[in-house]
Amino acid sequence: MYWATIASGRLAQAALLLLAMSLIAFIGIHSIGNPVFNVVNIETATAEDIRQATTALGLDQPVWKQYFLFLSNIVRGEFGTSYIYHQPAVDLVLGKLPATLELAVFAMLVAAPVGVGLGLLAGRNEGSAFDRVVLRFCVLVASVPSFWLSMMLILGLAVLAGWLPSGGRGDSMLAFGQEWSVLTGDGLRHIILPALALALPNIALICRLARAGTIEVQGQEFTRFCRAKGLSARRILMRHTLPNISIPIVTIIALQFGGMLAFAVVVETIFAWPGVGKLLIDSIQLLDRPVVMATLTFVAVAFVTLNALVDLLYAILDPRVRLS
Amino acid sequence: MKAIVLRILLQRPGLDRTAGLFRLRLRAGGSQIVLAAFVLVAILAPLISPQNPYDPLQVLGWDASSPPGTVGSGGYAYILGTDGLGRDILSTIFYGLRISLVVSIVSSLAAAMIGLAAGVTAAYFGRWIDAVIMRLVDLQLSLPTILVALIAIVTLGPGVDRIILALIIVQWAVYARMVRGVALSETRKSYMDAAQLLRMPTLRILLRHLLPNSIAPALTLLPIEIGHAIALEATLSFLGLGVPLDKPSLGSAVANGFQYLMTGQYWISLFPGLALLCLVASINFVGDDLRRRLDPRSAAR
Repeated sequence: MYWATIASGRLAQAALLLLAMSLIAFIGIHSIGNPVFNVVNIETATAEDIRQATTALGLDQPVWKQYFLFLSNIVRGEFGTSYIYHQPAVDLVLGKLPATLELAVFAMLVAAPVGVGLGLLAGRNEGSAFDRVVLRFCVLVASVPSFWLSMMLILGLAVLAGWLPSGGRGDSMLAFGQEWSVLTGDGLRHIILPALALALPNIALICRLARAGTIEVQGQEFTRFCRAKGLSARRILMRHTLPNISIPIVTIIALQFGGMLAFAVVVETIFAWPGVGKLLIDSIQLLDRPVVMATLTFVAVAFVTLNALVDLLYAILDPRVRLS
Repeated sequence: MKAIVLRILLQRPGLDRTAGLFRLRLRAGGSQIVLAAFVLVAILAPLISPQNPYDPLQVLGWDASSPPGTVGSGGYAYILGTDGLGRDILSTIFYGLRISLVVSIVSSLAAAMIGLAAGVTAAYFGRWIDAVIMRLVDLQLSLPTILVALIAIVTLGPGVDRIILALIIVQWAVYARMVRGVALSETRKSYMDAAQLLRMPTLRILLRHLLPNSIAPALTLLPIEIGHAIALEATLSFLGLGVPLDKPSLGSAVANGFQYLMTGQYWISLFPGLALLCLVASINFVGDDLRRRLDPRSAAR
């Protein structure tokens, strides 16, 4: 019962957030210009054409009715048909989703262990040469815009060294009704660079967090007790320090996973990875309005939902949150 | 008598903190010098550039894609090479710096002002005004900046003025949250009671008393936010959603060279990108340094 209350409260908050966003989007779209001109040509349309289009789009209705129409279309996933691909916009977005998920999951599987490992080692040897190198790497990566990082990866590893392909998805294999690149050797070679571009900033972030946590935990009584008990440094690090710093790290990993869905826009465009992000940028440039709306809505909903789930997870993992 | 006491109370202790910002001695570290050099180059761009990259008469098409160091038909050397249209990379960087800096500084200043106004208003009036403003802030800060920027660009359309507007929309909430926190603790101080008891007009209380006392932390945020704005503008321009390609910012200069990267003509993208990197890094370091010196908590450490 207790959990049901908390969960429903947090999810209601997320729903309210999405409702507010839809309202802002509605106002935004309607303050920009008359949507009729998305349908009819401004130069050649007669007054009669405009009147018919206005009725067809429901623009002669009162504003609140228009908003409810807008909202119900979003809820039912009806964003219209793509002007370019002549498919329902939602199908298009969902069709591109596996590629993006594959990339994001692969990147996070690289980023989380590497980031945590570096952070633990750097934190344990605070002030050492290794620690300073790791810290400098974190600061450097944080101030590199992600598109620049991607391009340098292409320049270094694809163009100059010629080790890896510079873009595309490569061969893929059919499994569970979807194409997956990671299942073939060629696809795996193609995913390394974009995944690295997505992973590097996250390695820096996770590493900084793990390092700070380790330094804090290492100074506490129980670590000294473990050391006095004669436990090996490795065992202390893996069995006692790691669990104690895991909560904020799990949180940031989950949050960054949502961030990856958004930042995939940049990385996918550069590496020509056929995912949701590339679809968004292509659609914006082709003025394919239904697809743009569907993609943005999808990413926003995914992000807000993920945020809410993380908050719930946090409350389950950390009893202190439950009390407040 | 009562009025005199109230006037004395009105002396604003917090103002010292704000004034302290302007009394800070300039520090001449590496990053400060680099940043100053960047700003100087941006201001002097038309005077020191070998070529005006926006002037079709000066851009020589047959010099396109020359590697660094080539002496062009104009009689001067292309120190960093030329891009696919024959524009001198060095000049493109100089001019691009101007656009990047102007866009980011204008948008950050405007965002700071809007954020300050919103934060002070929320803190002073409280209740539903506070609730509405802060929920809006929460909404915005809960989404990744790149997503908010994309939504804004999609709704607003392309163009330099729209980019600035989008950057303002992305940034204002950070200031609003920070200022509101400070202003909330200021409203409980006695000088605010004094101002209200003297029946000063609300606008005067807000602008002359609450705002100057709440402004300091927001100002320390400014350099770092300018750095963010430069990176974000560059990203949007790179994606082709930013400033128009014929007048490139640093980001679109990098984007211009992307297709040539594959054939090994690295200089078109590399050098503008390095300039961007150094600019953002130097701003970050200067901003960090400023914040550390102004924040009394970290000064105590």
